[in-house]
Amino acid sequence: MPTKPELRLGSHLAPGLAAVALFCVLAFVFVTSSFSAPQGFPDGANITASIGYAMFNIGAGDVPAEGFIVAFFAIAIVLDAALDGAVMLAKRDEREGDGTLVPERGGFEGGEE
Amino acid sequence: MLAPTQLLVPVEWYLVLSAGVFCIGLFGVLTRRNALMFLISVELMLNAANINFVAFSLQWGNLTGQTFALFVMALAAAEVAIGIGIILVLYRNFRGIDVTEATTMRW
Amino acid sequence: MAFEYAPLIALLPLASFVIALVAGEYLPKKGGLVGMAATGGSLLLSIWAMLRVASGGFYDETLYTWVAGVGEGTLSLSFGLLLDPLSTMMLVIVSLIAFLVHMFSLGYMNDEGETGLPRYYAGLGLFTFSMLSFVFADNLLMAFMFFELVGLCSFLLIGFWFREDAPPSAAKKAFLVTRFGDYFFLIGVVGILATFGTAQFAGEGAFPQLAEEAIVGGETLFGFPAGTWVTILGLLVLGGVIGKSAQFPLHTWLPDAMEGPTPVSALIHAATMVAAGVYLVARMYGFYALSPTAMAIIAFIGGFTALFAASMGVVKDDIKQVLAYSTISQYGYMMLGLGVAGYVAATFHLMTHAFFKALLFLGAGAVIIAMHHEQNMWNMGGLKDEMPVTYYSFLAGSLALAGILPFSGFWSKDEILYEALIAGLENPVLLAAYAMGLLAVFFTGFYTFRMVILTFHGEPRSDHAEHPVPLGWNTKIPLAVLGILATVAGFVNMVPVAELTGADITYLSHWLDSGPEQLAYSTYTATAEEFAHIHHAELTPLIPGAIALVLALAGAGTAVALYRGPHPVAHTDKLGGAKDVLVANYYQDEYQVWLAEGLTQRVARGADTFDQGVVDGVVNGISSVSLLGSGRVRRLQSGVVTNYAALITTALVVLLVAFGIYGGWF
Repeated sequence: MPTKPELRLGSHLAPGLAAVALFCVLAFVFVTSSFSAPQGFPDGANITASIGYAMFNIGAGDVPAEGFIVAFFAIAIVLDAALDGAVMLAKRDEREGDGTLVPERGGFEGGEE
Repeated sequence: MLAPTQLLVPVEWYLVLSAGVFCIGLFGVLTRRNALMFLISVELMLNAANINFVAFSLQWGNLTGQTFALFVMALAAAEVAIGIGIILVLYRNFRGIDVTEATTMRW
Repeated sequence: MAFEYAPLIALLPLASFVIALVAGEYLPKKGGLVGMAATGGSLLLSIWAMLRVASGGFYDETLYTWVAGVGEGTLSLSFGLLLDPLSTMMLVIVSLIAFLVHMFSLGYMNDEGETGLPRYYAGLGLFTFSMLSFVFADNLLMAFMFFELVGLCSFLLIGFWFREDAPPSAAKKAFLVTRFGDYFFLIGVVGILATFGTAQFAGEGAFPQLAEEAIVGGETLFGFPAGTWVTILGLLVLGGVIGKSAQFPLHTWLPDAMEGPTPVSALIHAATMVAAGVYLVARMYGFYALSPTAMAIIAFIGGFTALFAASMGVVKDDIKQVLAYSTISQYGYMMLGLGVAGYVAATFHLMTHAFFKALLFLGAGAVIIAMHHEQNMWNMGGLKDEMPVTYYSFLAGSLALAGILPFSGFWSKDEILYEALIAGLENPVLLAAYAMGLLAVFFTGFYTFRMVILTFHGEPRSDHAEHPVPLGWNTKIPLAVLGILATVAGFVNMVPVAELTGADITYLSHWLDSGPEQLAYSTYTATAEEFAHIHHAELTPLIPGAIALVLALAGAGTAVALYRGPHPVAHTDKLGGAKDVLVANYYQDEYQVWLAEGLTQRVARGADTFDQGVVDGVVNGISSVSLLGSGRVRRLQSGVVTNYAALITTALVVLLVAFGIYGGWF
């Protein structure tokens, strides 16, 4: 019978104090900073279409943006590579010789340390 | 859909929100032992940056921030794909996915 | 022929060294004939050089400058030749004895079937080269270099039979003891070069002349009055002389050096190498004659060593050991002669001693061959009928050693004692030295005739003595030649006869006076009188001569009386406790070993501890800081990734706070 998840508290949370300290510093800096008034977008501008135009370096959007065509292609390549990488990492290592290992269980088969 | 032309909330608070989410993610990275929870925490940190981008996109009236946030999301997806592959290999070598157990690259 | 061929005198034996080393295996006598030819050539050239000098020639040339001093106040170091009466006489002596020893070696080494002979003849060749170069060196630094080289050859030749235990140990001892003295010699050479800017023995700017001028001019050298500094330098150089000529306290190496082959003992440890020290003092006599302290010390050490060694020779049973102590004692006489400004007497004794001591050693070598390499005199006896040539030449040498009229040793030793007496009558220290030298005459006569009688007379006491191995011509000819020389060499300077008859027959005095004035005997005597305050009393030489002769005959007679008859008995036990002390050589060897182990080793160990502890410790300490530091710091790499992330975060926080404070964000 599954039990409810317990919140584990203990000394292993000690490094988290660094994160808390970082938050305190950042919050303090941001709250005491002052910015000018926000510029905002023009009234009635189509944000989504502008994003699309920006991605393909077509300057037909209402809102100004930089051109992201190179980043678009780069991301395409990265996603493709990530897919291939994940498949390759997930494949089992081909081992020679040791025929006593039965590979169908999908579990641990090597790498003892 | 009309985009708001003013920020109801001053932009500093968005920064604080982003810092908060970032530090929660960082807390997770520092204290979690399960490798999958570690990856989820990393995702949190990335999304904190996204909040920042979008907030400032309205601040300066430029869509670069929002477009960049889209690319960050795509990159986060790719990174998670590779990360899970690595956790798989880690499991194969160390019989568990506790990141504090895999300590062979030490002094 | 011109003097330009003079370097060949030394270079011929050097060539024989190279030939013996390279091609000795293939030669019929393994280098012996080559060595004989080379030394024979040197002998002829030396005789010719002596004849040229006799007819008024003189040669003092620098042949090769190996450090050319440039400008004012810099030194030039060079090799050169100095041929004057003293050096040509010594060249003839050395090359003659080297030639005869090479001939004798054919019989002692080759005919006895010894192995390793190319090495032996190479060693003899190198030694002859070094000794001849030392003799005609024209400056002190060159003399020092060849002095050391001669010591090296002695080491090589003593340790010839290196596969046994005793010879290499004896060779090492000889080298170390002489080296100890040579250390002071080196400091003296450097001191002389630093003080006078030159080390030349003769010529315009020779250092004895400069020293004399410094003393006359009352200069101060290195913070000392010139006279004191000259004494200090003289005593430093004397260190090397004492080591090389086996005087007390550096005499302990010579008896052990008898481990070498007997021809080596004859050449090196009787006639030539140990003469190098005495020759050096004679060469720089113009320098020593300036210092009364140095002269007195030389005389006293000489007289003391003469008595000291003679007393030890009395109880020895090995024939070569008796001769070794005799050598130490006789060189003591020569030092005594030099110390009392008896320059001619000392040089005369140097010459006659070279002949009769080499003769005695070669005779002992002949006996050893005959006795199948048995050296204990108590196993000999009755050899005089079987070996007449050896017996009569050995007897001639012994009579010369004991100082019996009219053999050569009488004239020379007697002249030394005469000079010591007439100087001693004016100076009590020198008189004490004379007394010791006189007493040693009795002991000398005693041990010499003990040796002769035990070896040759009585009934044979062992099988070897009954059937001695016959000797060849190559052992008999050197014995005969040296026997004749030991008999007649004394006639060149018969001072008592000259006094008696008024005839001018002191040829050696005239010979040593005939060179340039700087190096002449009469100049030395005058310098000694003026600066070293050695005055000679007026006394006829007949009375001291008669006293010495009576003592020698008494010593000889006592030995004959004690050991005569067909079966002599050992009398040494009657000396009781004294015998133990004498046989143990007054415990000098144990004392020197204690100095090395007890004293020097402790100091060395302390220095070693300092070196390893402090010097190395500092270096190791510095490295240990880095090692310990890095040992701690590397534990940061715990392998847990989240730890690294924590560290990065902490660092980021700290940096942000620091920048914030600095940049005024707060």
